[in-house]
Amino acid sequence: MQQALEIIIGGLLQGGAFALVALGFALIFRVTGTINLAQGAFVVVGALLLYTFHQVLMWPLAIAFVASLAVTVLVGTLLAQFVLEPALRKLPTAGMVILTAGLLTFFEGAILLCWGSQPYQLEPFSGSRPYEVFGLRFPTQSPWDAGATILIVFALWYVLQKTTVGKALRAVSENPAAAALMGINVKRMTILSYAVASGIGGIAGMVIGPIVSLQFDGGGIFTNAGFISVTIGGVASFFGAVVGGLGLGLIEQGAAGYISSLFSTTIALVLLLAMLILRPTGIIAGRIRRREDVRDVAHNQSNVSTKLSPMQGRVLAVIMLVLLAVAPVLLNATGGGGLLSSLVIAGIFFIALLGLDVILGYCGQVSLGHAAFMAMGGYTAAISCVKFGLPPIVGVLLGLVVSLLCAAMLSLVTVRLRGHYMALATLSFGLLIDTLTVGLSDWTGGPSGMTGIPNFSIFGYTFAGPVANYYLVWGVVIVGLIVLGNAMRSDFGRVLRSIRTDQTAALALGIDVPRYKLFAFLIGAGFASIAGSLLAFDFQFLSPDMVSTQQSFLIITMLVIGGEGTLVGPVIGVVLLTLLPTAFQFLANYKTLASGVLLVTAMLYFPSGLYGGFTALIRRFSGGGKRSTPTPLPAETAA
Amino acid sequence: MNTQDALTVTSVTKSFGGVHAIADVSFNVRAGSLTALIGPNGAGKSTMFNLFTNLYIADSGTIAYFGQDLAGMRSDKIARLGLIRTFQTARVFAGMTVLENVLAGAHIGVSANVWEEALRLPRASSEERTVREKAAHLIDVLGLSSVAEESAISLPLGLQKLLEIARALMAGPKVLLLDEPAAGLNDTETLRLAELLVAINAAGVTMVVVEHNMSLVMSISQDIVVLDAGRVIARGTPAAVQADERVIEAYVGRATDTVAS
Repeated sequence: MQQALEIIIGGLLQGGAFALVALGFALIFRVTGTINLAQGAFVVVGALLLYTFHQVLMWPLAIAFVASLAVTVLVGTLLAQFVLEPALRKLPTAGMVILTAGLLTFFEGAILLCWGSQPYQLEPFSGSRPYEVFGLRFPTQSPWDAGATILIVFALWYVLQKTTVGKALRAVSENPAAAALMGINVKRMTILSYAVASGIGGIAGMVIGPIVSLQFDGGGIFTNAGFISVTIGGVASFFGAVVGGLGLGLIEQGAAGYISSLFSTTIALVLLLAMLILRPTGIIAGRIRRREDVRDVAHNQSNVSTKLSPMQGRVLAVIMLVLLAVAPVLLNATGGGGLLSSLVIAGIFFIALLGLDVILGYCGQVSLGHAAFMAMGGYTAAISCVKFGLPPIVGVLLGLVVSLLCAAMLSLVTVRLRGHYMALATLSFGLLIDTLTVGLSDWTGGPSGMTGIPNFSIFGYTFAGPVANYYLVWGVVIVGLIVLGNAMRSDFGRVLRSIRTDQTAALALGIDVPRYKLFAFLIGAGFASIAGSLLAFDFQFLSPDMVSTQQSFLIITMLVIGGEGTLVGPVIGVVLLTLLPTAFQFLANYKTLASGVLLVTAMLYFPSGLYGGFTALIRRFSGGGKRSTPTPLPAETAA
Repeated sequence: MNTQDALTVTSVTKSFGGVHAIADVSFNVRAGSLTALIGPNGAGKSTMFNLFTNLYIADSGTIAYFGQDLAGMRSDKIARLGLIRTFQTARVFAGMTVLENVLAGAHIGVSANVWEEALRLPRASSEERTVREKAAHLIDVLGLSSVAEESAISLPLGLQKLLEIARALMAGPKVLLLDEPAAGLNDTETLRLAELLVAINAAGVTMVVVEHNMSLVMSISQDIVVLDAGRVIARGTPAAVQADERVIEAYVGRATDTVAS
């Protein structure tokens, strides 16, 4: 009984912080209709600022608190002014999810540079001796935590219901176009809501800082928690956000207390996925039914053609092939053997990217859990070889079977979901697989990973060492490029692209939209699964962070900055984000930051990626504008 | 002469909020005919097209396609039965070229699956060749050859509508629903379109055309259905409809007493 009550108290305390993050999500969703995945980062920023001001600079707590809050809100406002608000006018809701994933990565990189990678814990605000009431122990932070949650919920309610600004905010949330016509400054209201949300996140971080440990990558954890809370509770309702946050806190503490802390999030995520299937609006649906169409019209994609003429394509393909073939020889001769290993990794990521390009670039479906299929391919192959002594090729095939089955099941959910719900379902799925790779430690080796995985072998030949793996991986890349290139230049590719642009028009041409979405998703998952298996065989080791949601974000970044819908374009992203940090060690610290900045910049300013710019250059210098090249058979890809 | 109906509309009603967009409408489209659906703005013509393809679901009544009830059928299934439409505001695929847009229309006729396409197996290759020849031909017929490699969304609206027609023809329709095909075209282009529509119809494609250009409608159609405020107010040959008082009234308003006397 005693234990149960203390678990409940702990759960409610943790849930209070989750509820605050969730409130930030809900506020931004209500006003902009989009999900801000960077929300959790403000929690960490707020807490670490307080640490610096109060515990390093020794400012009094109250002053340090206000200063941290001010800086956090300032950061949030600047981001809203220069990134988020302009982006809202350019990107569809699903694109906003990707953009804010980039912002989250940016924050992690920036925090890493400012505060380093060690964990921090704040001092409790009022001593560390727990209160005892009726024999129950309450941490001293609990009144602060509960007080902040209650105060913010009340303040939000008051502002929204009782003030003119609140009325304007509600009008914007219901119909931004009409609100603008009524003289409401929608831009200012949007920035205001981001600013307030960042402030709420900062306060959440400061009050929970003494209870949890904070690290540069903690933003993702809080984003996940807030996102799970808000999805369970109801994304359009403040009350739902609080209920979801408290509920999640109880579930996590309960699971940790009675089952295992490794699975506390698993249970919440299973609940979340069930919720997305059965009741996508959450437990408490918002009273205001947002008109999704209002902001989602006329988001035409870029008209920049990334096509090369067949001639240019062939020349480029031959150059690339020759370079690929001689690279190991050259590198060994010049002593760049370390770079060869990175080239193997780059190739593996490229295979996964080919799959993601089919899903996202061609079919326009946002998958934020792509690395989960790498995990399934990798772990299934590794387990089949290590625990059951099966040959590697059988492991790869089994991995494919498992990945495709899971992808098909997930598709049952996602084909019914539109816009950002698809992104959220795949993100939840990715997070679920993350918790399983860590939690099923008997099978996966847990957080420290799995060792003793053999190299890939087939027909008696073992691919040992970087050179052999290099040719294996890039061989798979070339086969994948040819096969997918053919499919994308045929009816299948045109069907996917028409679904991406206009589903109604696609249906009118007899295209079975759900079926082709499923196909695209299965193909994408299959490529990711093969990439995951190859990763395990190449390293002879596999750990959860090699195939985590972090990697899903990284892969998306590579795709977007390379150029989606081009198949070959992502190679530029892969090279930028895997080779450069290896080649120039001093860059390694900046990798996370750069990855975030690149993703955000590409989303905003280079919708056809670097490959788009590259092909434009080639066309200009080869003298052939698209008009003057008589090309009856356009080459969509260079290889 | 084939007397079978391509489309049979029986007592169909569709309301939005409290407004009857279509109120108890019944009419038929004879197989092989070129039927025009006309009426003032807001008469319910485009609503009728959306009901044919189940983008809207009728509140009551039935729509049959060659005798087959279309109730509960998904839009893509209806298209695969040969009922192909265009939209009032052209819906071209923005990220694709004109040629790719037309090629996308060929989907229904393609029987090779993705594996055959990925491996360039004989059936896929030969189908792709046929499809590209047909697309080139249709692009030529609609006068789009000079812009075939341009991005579809960069075309002027009139050409986007022609592109949509080419794409619809690529799907091999048995019945073709055209929503304001001449919108955005100049007189010469409209005349060429008229000839083309008559030729397509003569080749055996049943056609239903919503159009505001009355001289075009009167010159090409065999049969005219006039809608006003969600009801059929007249039905017949161009000559009969032109003489119908209710039609004149719907378009120009009731003749006032001063003018009449």
